[in-house]
Amino acid sequence: MPDFDGLQLDGLTIRYGKHLALDRVTVTVGRGECVALLGANGAGKSSLLKAIGGLVRPEGGSVRLGGRVLSDLPAHRIVTEGVALVPEGRGIFPRLSVEENLVLGANPARARKGEADKRAQVFDLFPKLAERRRQIAGTMSGGEQQMVAIARALMSNPDFLLLDEPSLGLAPIVTKELFEALGRIRQTGLAILLVEQNVRESLKLADRGYLLEAGRIVGQGAADQLAEDPAVQHAFLGGTTAEID
Amino acid sequence: MLLSTLVFGLVLGGSYALIAMGLSLQYGIARIMNLAYGEVMICAAFAAMLLFNVAGLSPLLSLVLLVPAGWAISWGIYQVMMRPLVARSGTTGRLEVDSILATFGLLFVVQGVLLVLFGGNFQSYAFLGQGVNVLGTQVALNRLIAFGLSVLIGGGLYLALTHSRWGLALRAVALSPGSAPLVGIEVNRVARAGFALGGALAVAGGVVLSMYQTFSATMGVIYTMKALVIVIMGGVGNLLGALIAGLLLGLIETFVSVYIDPGLTLAATYGLFLVILLWRPQGLFGGAK
Repeated sequence: MPDFDGLQLDGLTIRYGKHLALDRVTVTVGRGECVALLGANGAGKSSLLKAIGGLVRPEGGSVRLGGRVLSDLPAHRIVTEGVALVPEGRGIFPRLSVEENLVLGANPARARKGEADKRAQVFDLFPKLAERRRQIAGTMSGGEQQMVAIARALMSNPDFLLLDEPSLGLAPIVTKELFEALGRIRQTGLAILLVEQNVRESLKLADRGYLLEAGRIVGQGAADQLAEDPAVQHAFLGGTTAEID
Repeated sequence: MLLSTLVFGLVLGGSYALIAMGLSLQYGIARIMNLAYGEVMICAAFAAMLLFNVAGLSPLLSLVLLVPAGWAISWGIYQVMMRPLVARSGTTGRLEVDSILATFGLLFVVQGVLLVLFGGNFQSYAFLGQGVNVLGTQVALNRLIAFGLSVLIGGGLYLALTHSRWGLALRAVALSPGSAPLVGIEVNRVARAGFALGGALAVAGGVVLSMYQTFSATMGVIYTMKALVIVIMGGVGNLLGALIAGLLLGLIETFVSVYIDPGLTLAATYGLFLVILLWRPQGLFGGAK
């Protein structure tokens, strides 16, 4: 696909010492598309997102966005290219206020022009953040901190939003709110690559999905088909232990 | 006498606060504990003296020349000496120990050069020594100017750090270096800027102090230690804390020197330091982490 202008991971291999975290993984996310990445703990989901975000150097393969090779760029340049990562653990600035987190989110050059519009959009999406602008982010609840993290990522005016387990550790009602917000973010045309343990909600949100197992892609397809797939149902939806661990 | 002691203490404290801010920035943002910090200050004091004695240049003008030079030289020191240490350290935290050893060496190199150039005697120059009446006490004009400059530079920098996007990026790196790349901040670049900014403040502090204090080639280490005491008193990474703690230390030193014994000022400084380390290691103004 030489003309593909989306995010393209081609034969990506990541190794930590002797441990092979990703083994020649190929994944694409088109512009405006929502893709879910499913897999058990340790399957390599976070490594994949970190590789896109420039936080981990791949041993082989590449990450491309349109014609640009992202995997050659340092981490701080990735967001400038329009790919915003909300990592595991959120990566917010816990000792700064909500407002300061958002201002920092708009730090990349591409975000400066439409900063006021973005801010309005973010506050519309998460009204609670508008009320709590002056609060120190680290003193907020887990769900609110996740909102700060996503809001900050949106402030960078991205084309692609990467989310690593956004619902991890959140109460069911907060998770529901979160997925509602993600649904509205999707409607704005922003592409999302979502790593989630909440498979049911993820597949409702996503257009397509990939199954990752021990560092390899073992299945892929349209989200509604995956939701019906016996293997997925066995591993995630009806499984007794897989969803917890 | 009480009033004049108070004024003298505030003047000294203002210079201390300025000096401590620079060390705090270098440590907080670049993660480098710069033991040669006081040497940079003393170099600036000698440079101001030379410019005054040889070229007849007012230290106020020297400040304008020397502060950018302090920035540039510190930038260079970071690039040449610290960058390899930063690269080698990665995320292991070795940088703190390595930088202490490296700058400890730098301290003696700079001190040796200063001793060769200027000898070991105390030096000073006579800049605006005439007295001015402040609330009924006579204070030398140079001290008042020094205090004004401390307030201006320290306060201005504090406002810039807390109210500008540039300052926010510096604080973001100081507080959460791991998250900074996510918003497009290049940590190495900001760390270098923080180190350079700290160096510029050391120079500002050195020039300001030289207007009213005597200094010698071997005194740098004392100022480094004082700055360190103030930074820890104020709470590491807390600039406002450093400003207040600096003023406090200046007052305490002056009061001890006037009312108890001038020989006890350093002892008082370290006594206070020990008390704080033992009972409030997070600093006077630091909250519980």
